[in-house]
Amino acid sequence: MSANPYMPMLGTIVETFDETPDIKTFRVVLQDEAAMRAFRFQPGQVAQLSVFGTGESTFVICSPPTRMEYLQFSVMRVGELTHRLHTLREGDPVGIRAPLGNHFDHQAMHGKDIVFIGGGLGLAPLRTLLLYMLDTRADYGNITLIYGGRSPEHLCFKAELAEWAARGDMRVELTVDTPDKLWAHRVGVVPAVLTELAVSPQNAVAVTCGPPIMIRFTIMALEKLGFTDEQIVTTLERRMKCGVGLCGRCNIGGKFVCVDGPVFTQAQLKDLPQEF
Amino acid sequence: MVAKFLATDALADIAAAWARAYRLLAPVREGQAVVYRPWAKDMHPFLGRPPTVSAKEALFPQTENLLTYTYRKDQNDLTRTEVFLAEPLPQEPTVLLGCRPCDARGRKLLDRVFLERGVKDNLYEARRKATIFVSVACDRLENTCFCHWTGGGPTSEEGSDVLLFTVAGGYAAKALTEAGERLLAALPEAPAPAQEELAAKLASPAEPGPAPDLSAAPQAFLALFDNMDFWMDQSARCLSCGVCTYLCPACSCFNITDEPSGMKGKRLRTWDTCMSALYTLEGSGHNPRVSRAHRLRNRVGHKFCYHPQEFPAMDKKPGGQPEFSCTGCGRCIKACPVSVDIRRIVHDILEKGGKP
Amino acid sequence: MAAEQSRLDELRASVIAELPNVDFVLGYARGFDPLHATPITVRTEADAARLIFDATCVQNLTTGLYGLKGKRIGLVVKGCDSRSVIQLIQEKLMERSELVVFGMPCDGVLDLAKVRVRADITQVRGAEVSGEEVRLLLPEGAKVLPRRDVLADKCLRCRYPNPLVFDHMIGQELEPAGVEDTYADLDGFEKLSPQERFDFWKRQMSRCIRCYACRNACPLCVCKHVCLADSREPHWLSAEATLQEKWLFQVMHALHLAGRCTECGECQRSCPMGIPILLLKRKMNRELKAVFNYEAGVNPEAVPPLHTFLMEEDKIKDRGQLW
Repeated sequence: MSANPYMPMLGTIVETFDETPDIKTFRVVLQDEAAMRAFRFQPGQVAQLSVFGTGESTFVICSPPTRMEYLQFSVMRVGELTHRLHTLREGDPVGIRAPLGNHFDHQAMHGKDIVFIGGGLGLAPLRTLLLYMLDTRADYGNITLIYGGRSPEHLCFKAELAEWAARGDMRVELTVDTPDKLWAHRVGVVPAVLTELAVSPQNAVAVTCGPPIMIRFTIMALEKLGFTDEQIVTTLERRMKCGVGLCGRCNIGGKFVCVDGPVFTQAQLKDLPQEF
Repeated sequence: MVAKFLATDALADIAAAWARAYRLLAPVREGQAVVYRPWAKDMHPFLGRPPTVSAKEALFPQTENLLTYTYRKDQNDLTRTEVFLAEPLPQEPTVLLGCRPCDARGRKLLDRVFLERGVKDNLYEARRKATIFVSVACDRLENTCFCHWTGGGPTSEEGSDVLLFTVAGGYAAKALTEAGERLLAALPEAPAPAQEELAAKLASPAEPGPAPDLSAAPQAFLALFDNMDFWMDQSARCLSCGVCTYLCPACSCFNITDEPSGMKGKRLRTWDTCMSALYTLEGSGHNPRVSRAHRLRNRVGHKFCYHPQEFPAMDKKPGGQPEFSCTGCGRCIKACPVSVDIRRIVHDILEKGGKP
Repeated sequence: MAAEQSRLDELRASVIAELPNVDFVLGYARGFDPLHATPITVRTEADAARLIFDATCVQNLTTGLYGLKGKRIGLVVKGCDSRSVIQLIQEKLMERSELVVFGMPCDGVLDLAKVRVRADITQVRGAEVSGEEVRLLLPEGAKVLPRRDVLADKCLRCRYPNPLVFDHMIGQELEPAGVEDTYADLDGFEKLSPQERFDFWKRQMSRCIRCYACRNACPLCVCKHVCLADSREPHWLSAEATLQEKWLFQVMHALHLAGRCTECGECQRSCPMGIPILLLKRKMNRELKAVFNYEAGVNPEAVPPLHTFLMEEDKIKDRGQLW
């Protein structure tokens, strides 16, 4: 392996499909089969995906380490790199630098009730942990997922949402701001659903990710329900370049989101200078 | 050890000799600027004042290649492409002539980031090992100099391989490392008068005067962090350009971009500046440092709060202070189009944030 | 000296009187040494006491005004700076009603690049401009320079010593002393062969560090972070620090300012590497003057020539002859 921390491994896209009008999922394997077999990561860790000639961007590996046939990334089309990425097809090469960053402390969650609260593509980092927990189901208490989006077509991982709801060993609550005629679930914003369900903080951990405004109100709702700062876990997003704590831009005070994050507890966030 | 001697009129010949064994970067005058240039015939190294740019470009150039890529079409199926990656070229051994003690001390601060923070930057490390710093001790402090505030001084040896002292007729050279010794091996010993002059200089170096105690700066900074009026006033004159960060011997932030040219291209690392709005602008349009006030706060905070917190090294001198990510070279003050003075900002932080 | 002090008192009083009507006033205070001024925001009487105005007040405080749109800003301007205000108003980048302008008649500011050629000012202890002298107090003693030798070029040919737009004129208005701009510097430059000119720019631009101080110091560069220098789509410039990239930016900068540039000189003054980029803007301005008889930032009612076109352009069909 290269000593050059900026040298990606080469990967090949093996499958791609649309999640929403502007979110696409990519399944990638490393070209070097031995490297793929040896690849280890933890739920919540991220990768720098390259399209050579356009650049690199950071994405969470949203498949779990218990399912290593491929690494999955779900990507919203927003900037230069993601636009280019969306034009790629099965068989196209990409670069991968991974695993990067910290991860969810799933060990510390053993035996606890887990509440996942996600909005839009914020479900991606939750998905890796959720699938990991479902694959090691006995280690955890009750699992609840509260997931929302602007409208039904803006929800990600739709097939899986139905699967999860049908499993019987977890609870799934879906909500949208704007329903369509076929919508059979809740209407309203995620924090309101959370409050309505009155989820108990007793022996529980809340893991949340979504748009900044949703996270803010979700945390307020969790605090009202009695969750402590240590019981609230979230992931942060920042503009990143190097992914290894050198290029400087993703700092919040003295912490770098790319190496000290992206996963933070609310307690850790409160310790940082407030610059989000 | 007896000091070696570089006669002023032999300087070009000595530089030429070094340039045969090393890549030599030497300071030359261009207009009113003093910049480092790779050695070329008929060049006149100018050691008379601190170069306009810092010495960091020898270790961390403004742009450098991180990798090159080449796409190749599959001849049997033209809809398929393969990509091939190549490492950048290895570094040549380099001598950097004519920086100042403040620049040389910048090496330690760059090391902190590129070698000690976590992931080692092998490109930096290769350059670092292959580069010899020949510094010129300062005889005087300019109005913008404040090396003594942050643990340095006009004759500080830290980070230099050779330190030159101005004496009559040339420079007395003191080797500080083995690499420096090897570089000086072929030079004559300094004549007796030069030795005496050097001894006198070492005995009574340029006196920089008293320095304020900055130990409380990290805490005072954090106390003021949310006081946006304070940062608005400090930054009201800032142009958000890159002068301060690009000339800084300690600033190490960079951008990574791909520069394609047909089917191949480079991935480049380029100096970046936290004073630019683009530095933290996210794809969604969200920007955690949306105003000049936020950005200036980050620059000052990084140097005088986050760095000492991350690398809690103390200056070993009596009454030593934390290590700051600033060598006090003063280039950010001197070259700022609107004369933003980081000393003044730190002073104001201590005054306004230091009080309970 | 007494006149200077009374003018300063008048400025401070005038600023203090306007403070309730504005968010803040942008003015000058003493910088890190006697030859440097630094802009400050004045919000209180205490801030106002820091105000100065003299030949070191080189910065054009209209820079960045566009970013303050929506606020009501007080602004200390020299005659030359007032032309930037006019240009901003012409281009509808600022509303006149958003500004309270304190006009300072000015008989010239120092060009520190010129001072540096004549004296080592890195340790300057004092500076005084009086009559036709600039007296510097240096560690080795006093040094007197003829004022005209160290004034900015724009001041030597200044025809607008009194601000063209103002709410408060502070002190006595001055007689314009400048002469018609003959662009003698350009003539000299253009006598060189194309190869010599190219070599000149290659030498100059090779030391550009791409800090974009020139762009950010320009009161009329208002594209901010959609500037072509930073654009990835289209990818005008590579991040590679080559001569070609540096030069292309300067050429585009000059073209974008054609007919808008008031030659305040902030681009060149701000360049840490001392690259004479104002020459490019002067070239454009001379062409604009020759073709349209237009001078930027003089008349708030005028429309800059490259901001308009005639539906019945007299010579529009001339191009047809080429086809």
